[in-house]
Amino acid sequence: MDIPDIPGGFAFWCGAALLAWLIIAVGGLYLRRSLSLLFPVLFGIGSLLILICAILSTTGTVTLPLPLFLGDAGIALTVDPLSRWFLGIIGLVGIPVALFSPGYFRHMQERIAIGVVWSGLALLFISMVGVVLAANAIFFLVAWELMALSSFLLVASEHSLRHIRHAAMVYLGATRAGTAFLMGGFLWAHHITGSWSFADWHIAGVAALGPAFLILLGLLTKAGSWPFHLWLPIAHPAAPAPVSAVMSGVMIKTAIYAMIRFFVIGDHISAPYMAVAILVLGAISAFWGVLFALLQHDLKRLLAYSSVENIGIILMGIGIAILGRELALPALAQLGLAAALLHTLNHAIFKSLLFLGSGAVDAQTHIRDVEFMGGLLRNMPWTGAGFIVGSAAICALPPMNGFVSEWLLYNSFFELALHGPTAIVRLCAILLLGWLALVGALAIACFAKAVGVVFLGLPRSAAAAHAKEADRGMVSAQIILAVCCAVFGVMAVALLQPLGQVTALLSVGKPLVEYWTIPMPVLVILLLATVSAITLGVTALSRGQKTKRYITWECGFGTLNARMQYSAASFAQPIARLFGGLYNYVMRIDRRGRNRRHFSEEISATMTHEPYLETRVYNPLLHLIRRMASAFLMRLQAGSIHQYLFYMLLVLALLLWVGARQ
Amino acid sequence: MITLLLIICNILLIPLLFIGVINKVKALLQTRVGAPILQPFYDMAKFLGKGETISETASWVFVWSPRIGLAIAFMAAVLVPWSGLLLPASWVPATNLLLVLYLLSMSKFLGMLAAMDTGSAFGGLGASREATITVLVEPALLIGLGTLAVGAGSMDLATIYTQPIHPIVAALIGTALLIAALAELSRMPVDDPTTHLELTMVHEAMILENSGRNLALVEYAVALRSCIYFGLAAQTLCRVWPGFQALSPVWHYLAGLTGLFLMGIAVAAAEGVLVKLNWRRVPNFLILATVFSLCAALIAVTR
Repeated sequence: MDIPDIPGGFAFWCGAALLAWLIIAVGGLYLRRSLSLLFPVLFGIGSLLILICAILSTTGTVTLPLPLFLGDAGIALTVDPLSRWFLGIIGLVGIPVALFSPGYFRHMQERIAIGVVWSGLALLFISMVGVVLAANAIFFLVAWELMALSSFLLVASEHSLRHIRHAAMVYLGATRAGTAFLMGGFLWAHHITGSWSFADWHIAGVAALGPAFLILLGLLTKAGSWPFHLWLPIAHPAAPAPVSAVMSGVMIKTAIYAMIRFFVIGDHISAPYMAVAILVLGAISAFWGVLFALLQHDLKRLLAYSSVENIGIILMGIGIAILGRELALPALAQLGLAAALLHTLNHAIFKSLLFLGSGAVDAQTHIRDVEFMGGLLRNMPWTGAGFIVGSAAICALPPMNGFVSEWLLYNSFFELALHGPTAIVRLCAILLLGWLALVGALAIACFAKAVGVVFLGLPRSAAAAHAKEADRGMVSAQIILAVCCAVFGVMAVALLQPLGQVTALLSVGKPLVEYWTIPMPVLVILLLATVSAITLGVTALSRGQKTKRYITWECGFGTLNARMQYSAASFAQPIARLFGGLYNYVMRIDRRGRNRRHFSEEISATMTHEPYLETRVYNPLLHLIRRMASAFLMRLQAGSIHQYLFYMLLVLALLLWVGARQ
Repeated sequence: MITLLLIICNILLIPLLFIGVINKVKALLQTRVGAPILQPFYDMAKFLGKGETISETASWVFVWSPRIGLAIAFMAAVLVPWSGLLLPASWVPATNLLLVLYLLSMSKFLGMLAAMDTGSAFGGLGASREATITVLVEPALLIGLGTLAVGAGSMDLATIYTQPIHPIVAALIGTALLIAALAELSRMPVDDPTTHLELTMVHEAMILENSGRNLALVEYAVALRSCIYFGLAAQTLCRVWPGFQALSPVWHYLAGLTGLFLMGIAVAAAEGVLVKLNWRRVPNFLILATVFSLCAALIAVTR
């Protein structure tokens, strides 16, 4: 038995966490309908242990002894700063999910088998840890598939509903296609290098194009980048909120992890044009995602599209990092990679906060369409405040954490604009500055709409008017995440220190902390002092004058009602019209009544848009596949045992022939 | 220390004076006597001494948004070198242009939320239009200021505005900043600050429900932001004259202020002549800012 250098506490912490999750995974199948607190407590402990593991463990490799083998590669785990960073993300999101879930699942207890959902969640976490630690392609694929299947189970939790089954199937299809590409890429890489172990993969130049292309395709599908983002806005709304939080916050990030592992650090696979391809796809994703997020009325769909945007931002960082390596500009590579990694962490925090917030709203009001919400801040003060903090963070507004990562990305563009090799590159870098600003402004519009329509103003339905605050667990989960948003923003230096270890894997320049020049803590203290001074001053100057509560101005027409407010659709309309050509935005206004022009008795407006990618590309493609299948493939699988025996014979003959030739 | 004090005096006096000058010039051009130049100060004192009326629908967002907004505007006004006064060297990293722009976005975001908080139709309308203007203006600002930053080799505004700028680049970016300022501060031809026909307003629609001290805070923040944006545009346009950089600090400061007030007079004159654009045609006007910035970037990169 040969166990080389097990890193310090790693085996203990990680093993204990996996054990806790394994107990849930098995126990959930037996206690299918149980609401017991055993699952969340164990789940929280597992997440905490992984977080500790991420902080404490050192670099090293663990190979499990011989009987635990997969084909001709062992179960081998590698821990290095990069995988620790992602382990930290997994643990950090796991804890609030454990707090939030019991309260949330109580609302769904008639509709879902809660034990099975816990079991699926635990499996998902185990497999994500596996993906992040895998040292060879075979074990990676096993974990990757376990991750895909467990998340499929979770998306399908409410499988008695038809649209949920549909969403789950779409997700399954997307993840199958992604894995197929990934597998092809791995096989190709194995063919070139003759090894399954990632450490032995060093492919460069034109030879790398094939495997790089296939692997990238597979990873982009999982990450949900444009144009493979199709499954995100379908699967996320279908899944229970904590599951969406985990899938959007952490699971799609495992693809980012793999991308960094293969393409960015360690010179594993470096193909030409890769940096530009990733950069361009990221830029399109960021814009596309936020543009469609603005058009959505389902809160969770909006958040799903916003994940496409953020994945785009992360991809831009990765593209810049590869570009920096190719151009031998260490500062560029460091800033790009740091931006990508930090944004991965930040997005995990604020997106799970927002998804949990949307889940709390869903659980308390049972409505999903934002057009029927409104005024929830009054009855759900904590959820509302958490959602506002999360929105500010996702719009990269200082002093929240999103600002730090987008600042790093802006600075990497700036670095490229300063030191780019040609004038064209430098101009493109300046354009990227503007592009990211455009994306940021659209995000502000999108989340001002979301917060304003859901939490502010008058309630647009009885359910929204009578909503109650979520229970303590759900609220505390959101508070933890909201506090993380603020603390990681103000105390960015504390995060940049460990992040520097990761970026040091790519290039050694000046320490990462030195790039972050903004004295955020001082500024925040100054801001808070100014706000308190203003508050005190205003109170003193008003000399005890009363603050009167009165109705909102309604032009003297009588009582104001909720229908007079701007709706989500009307809020988005001016911006939607600006970019209307990209998705055939049409607003139809119908006026009815005798004197239609001036005194219409009934006016209705409907806005429609057509996502071209779906209607013009994917739908015809699926249609074609289905037609081909019914014409040809379905005859192959006709249910006749004779036919199947004949196939077996054919395959056997083929194998014999191939074997004889070698 | 003295510069810091001077900057604070600047912030307390010039913004409201600037608004007063614009209003006075506008009145004179329309052959009215107009309110005294110091009227904004009197207004501020009046508003601050009054009680306020808050909508029954409003939450804490409505109460705190103007306070945080003013604090942010105050901080931005300290950090941005809009008057030509330069901060002590230890402050320079805080003048990072991304920090300043995103801080201002934060106050804008909170402003939009406060507008939607009262449940009035106008608040939503104003917020929606404000968001649209942000989408149109923000890329121009970043491309323009980013180009200047690339020329100076630093993203800190305090450093950018000590470096020489090519006259054509300065002219283009100065114009882009001016257009952005007109849009951000709801001046003609994007928005009419004097109108009270709700359907045509942007900024006024957003603050329709604010009254008393709450209104005073918003108005003061707007005055501060006016100085920041117009001042930055003036500082950039001043650099079309190559000798501007070489002036001694005092003259530099005075020339910058003169530029700012000249710009105020120009804005007032424009408001006397121009009509407000149809809301649907505003994007066509604002895209000019991006075009100017892009041209500047092209010139700066190829040089």
